[in-house]
Amino acid sequence: MPIRLTRAQHHELYYFLRLNRRVDEQLTSLYRQGKVVGGLYSGLGQEAVSVGTAYALEPQDLIGPVIRNAGAMLIRGFRPRDFFLQYMGRRDGPTGGRDGNTHFGDLARGVVAPISMLGETVPVMAGIALAAKIRGEKRVAVVYVGDGASSTGPFHEGVNFAAVQKLPLLIVAENNGWAYSTPIEKQMAVSSMATRAKGYGIRAVTVDGNDVLAVYAATRAAVARIRRGGGPEMVECLTMRMKGHAEHDDARYVPKVVFEKWRTRDPILLFEKYLAAKRLMTAAEKAAIEGRIEHEIRGDVAFAESSPLPAPEEAARSVWA
Amino acid sequence: MPVAAGKRRAGVASKPDAETLERILYFLKLTREAEYRIERVLYRQGKIVGGVYTSRGQEAITVGTAIQLIDGDVVTPTHRDFAAHVIRGLPLAEIFCNWLGRVGAPTRGRDGGPHLGDIRRGIIAPVSSVGAWCAVACGAALALQRAGKGNIALTFFGEGTSARGDIHEAMNLAAVMKLPVVFVCNNNAWAYSTPAKKEYAVKSLAVRGPAYGMPGVSVDGNDVLAVYAAAQKAMARARAGKGPSLIECRTFRVTGHSAHDAAEYVPERLKHRWEKKDPIDRFQKLLLARRLVTQERIAALDAAIQKELDEAIAQAEGSPLPEGGDAIKGVYCEPGDCWSK
Repeated sequence: MPIRLTRAQHHELYYFLRLNRRVDEQLTSLYRQGKVVGGLYSGLGQEAVSVGTAYALEPQDLIGPVIRNAGAMLIRGFRPRDFFLQYMGRRDGPTGGRDGNTHFGDLARGVVAPISMLGETVPVMAGIALAAKIRGEKRVAVVYVGDGASSTGPFHEGVNFAAVQKLPLLIVAENNGWAYSTPIEKQMAVSSMATRAKGYGIRAVTVDGNDVLAVYAATRAAVARIRRGGGPEMVECLTMRMKGHAEHDDARYVPKVVFEKWRTRDPILLFEKYLAAKRLMTAAEKAAIEGRIEHEIRGDVAFAESSPLPAPEEAARSVWA
Repeated sequence: MPVAAGKRRAGVASKPDAETLERILYFLKLTREAEYRIERVLYRQGKIVGGVYTSRGQEAITVGTAIQLIDGDVVTPTHRDFAAHVIRGLPLAEIFCNWLGRVGAPTRGRDGGPHLGDIRRGIIAPVSSVGAWCAVACGAALALQRAGKGNIALTFFGEGTSARGDIHEAMNLAAVMKLPVVFVCNNNAWAYSTPAKKEYAVKSLAVRGPAYGMPGVSVDGNDVLAVYAAAQKAMARARAGKGPSLIECRTFRVTGHSAHDAAEYVPERLKHRWEKKDPIDRFQKLLLARRLVTQERIAALDAAIQKELDEAIAQAEGSPLPEGGDAIKGVYCEPGDCWSK
């Protein structure tokens, strides 16, 4: 199904892919300088999943991202500085310096904050979808789950409930081959997450998660059907986690040849080749995007680094109503 | 109305012999009569402690599967698998003690009727959090797999329970680790007052099997020989180290959720339709028609069962209620109590 994107939209996709990666790289740099509070979980190599899916949504939709979906949160309106402030535990960060990781959100921007217990956001997003249905709103709730999270009880309960109630829920099944050190073949006895969908009676499709346009197209089509009341669907995106589970994990359990193979399929590299082949981006246009990103990153890092830490006296603020 | 023989023959390794057929009939009838005594006699006499849950009309599911268990196997029954206990040798008197809350019960008067079991007989007692035992069955199966003697774990759950996360985690793990588990789903169309169509959006729960990477079949749960055949195949697979299977047994809950539930939300005509498909009537008629049992034998069986129940209930009623002072006994370990080699 051909999806028509303008030249400008292609550039926007490219911008978000590059921005996602730059934020990731900058956070890694801050981590290595000892400036990050807590762990750092990278989405390196998986940017096309976050960007391709989030770009296909409407302003009234909501997302329930997880730790490697910073790209989706950027598309919903968070800025690089929000990530730097959050990870460095600063007072003016999205959680006031009270939580780390991508554990932040904003309902006004349609982002439901994730927590560490993976799979739990599925019933939560199903609940949001239920509210939208009851109110007669044309909203779609999008929840991101990894291969590991799809083995959890809450995943099952949330997807099954959404299927029975025919809720406007899209499940983005981000299959990156590893759940910490558990490879996919020890996670499930079937070949894909889309096979799980058959147990719920919902439509599922599997796409190349490193092809941002394939991800975009599949999401756009699914969301259109869901918005028309077709019930929940799953879009499985096949990709690869190019680093360890977190910065403190060197991923020695991943065979080197796997990394080598996926490096040649880097999503940004693939999209650049496509844009070049279709003459959709000149060198000047590319440089302009890169310049814009560098300017933002530099400014936001400086802002975040000079931001104060929260005062200890503030610790109990907004804990109680 | 005899079940079509052709349906049963397909894929069946060996049909039950005459002795097994009679054992099946015995356990079906024993379950029906025992539960009648619990629900329609003792409960109405105010002698039962707690609620009453029966498997009336669904006995074929438990009997057809559990009758094929061997020494060393483990079963995790629900509150609607009375037959599993008697098949594994738990004395009737002890079962009635549990319903009456007496000291002679496996739970020594500390838990209600259906929450009974006996680890020495490979019965893991159910709890109220339905489905939690399916993951426990996987743990037992893992141990059995490592022991390498071809034993299996047989686990039951309802269609309502199939919507719980526990089932998902259990089935996924069992499939990945190729555990020797047989998952039996008693789809009796009602989870308390929730109809099955609000529990799943697929046509049959059998499709959940392949969704995890294991075989899944759906059988007439009121046809004990169809259940038997499906279980035979699944157990053989598990014993041979080929992994788990799912069997959905379609039936109907012709009672309320419990004795205190009048189930007014169940359409009468549906209840009546299923009462006509009673599994025990069907099986008995089939055996008579094929001359595998005589009317005299059946009458003798019925009389023996009544006598057995009379004796078991008398014994149970003779068991005392627990003493208040013993309330904490067995909650904490006493010296020399636990884990002795």
